[in-house]
Amino acid sequence: MPTDSPTEKLLVVPCSGIGKVHGLISREAVYRITDNLMPEQAETLCLALLVTGDPEAREKVRRRPCIAVDGCPKLCARKNIELSGSKAALGVRVYDTLKRHRGAAFGSPTALSDEGWAAVDEVATEIAQTAGQIVGRTPNPEP
Amino acid sequence: MSKVGIIACSGEEIPVGTVSRLATRRVLELLRPQSTVTLCLPLFLAGEEQERRFAREHPTITVDGCDRLCAKRGTEQHSGQVAASLVVTEILGDRAAKCHRSARALDKSDEEAVWIVAERIAAEVDSLAPTAPQAAPAQSPRSPSCACSCGSPPPEGTLKINGKTVAVAVLPLVFDQLRKQGLEPGEDSADRLLEMVRVYHAIEPEEEPLYGDALVAAYQEFCGQPPGDTIAPSRPTSSR
Repeated sequence: MPTDSPTEKLLVVPCSGIGKVHGLISREAVYRITDNLMPEQAETLCLALLVTGDPEAREKVRRRPCIAVDGCPKLCARKNIELSGSKAALGVRVYDTLKRHRGAAFGSPTALSDEGWAAVDEVATEIAQTAGQIVGRTPNPEP
Repeated sequence: MSKVGIIACSGEEIPVGTVSRLATRRVLELLRPQSTVTLCLPLFLAGEEQERRFAREHPTITVDGCDRLCAKRGTEQHSGQVAASLVVTEILGDRAAKCHRSARALDKSDEEAVWIVAERIAAEVDSLAPTAPQAAPAQSPRSPSCACSCGSPPPEGTLKINGKTVAVAVLPLVFDQLRKQGLEPGEDSADRLLEMVRVYHAIEPEEEPLYGDALVAAYQEFCGQPPGDTIAPSRPTSSR
């Protein structure tokens, strides 16, 4: 996949699913990466722009490494990236991480519990570790 | 009668995308739980034909964060004509600049913004579904109220009434909203609690004292105080 110059940021795209807590966890995990763990190396993109076929957004996902962060098996982030003519360098399935904590109450699609926020940090840290290899740099240490 | 559909852009890049998402959830969970339904916008491409039928089966309101109108355009491209289009930046004006995109950073400005947009959405729902139950009490506490096309149930709380456990839809959300409005827990909170809960849950007149006591105790517990503590009288709450 052609890439822009090394200074272009990695794209991390959450599904932000509105119906389940998994969607909120995917969204907040991405913000954790773009705002705290990898602010110089990663940014996000409105998934809705890919739904409408926005030319600028499609061009971005074709030219930059992308990470799709999906809450549920519908894989909306990953599929919309692929339907835009690209392929995710990494596809993260939040539900796989949450399965490791059976019985935990993560919150609601509107607000996360303490366990939900812990899951956000866990998902974000795992992504940042792998994303660091994609961009060739070490992510910020977790504060 | 078909429920009114709401599609939010949930735009991830900017705070108004977060407001679109939260305001939509507020309407689904609290303001119009029995007359609204939603769907994840990206499912129009990633999902099946049954998802793409959404706007053909429901009069649909789109809620976009900004004037790029992704929810409106995406719905019209893949599903069907929208009945109404709302834009958060147009509704909020200068207030939009004070909002945040991550829930970690949400503050009073965000809460106010979400309420303003949510009430605007609710008004639009009412105009599209004038005969649909707006805030009618649920016939059965366990009947589906707010619905997402993925089937997520609304949050529910329980009260002990006459020795029986009664499920009350959206009780945690009602408590959360009243706490944010500044309602102090204690005996004086009973009237306000009853007024809010009555909207979502049928209460017989003869049962009101029992519900009042149960709600006061549950609200005290929700606010982190042991039931039975003497609390200062509640101050007047401002209307939304």
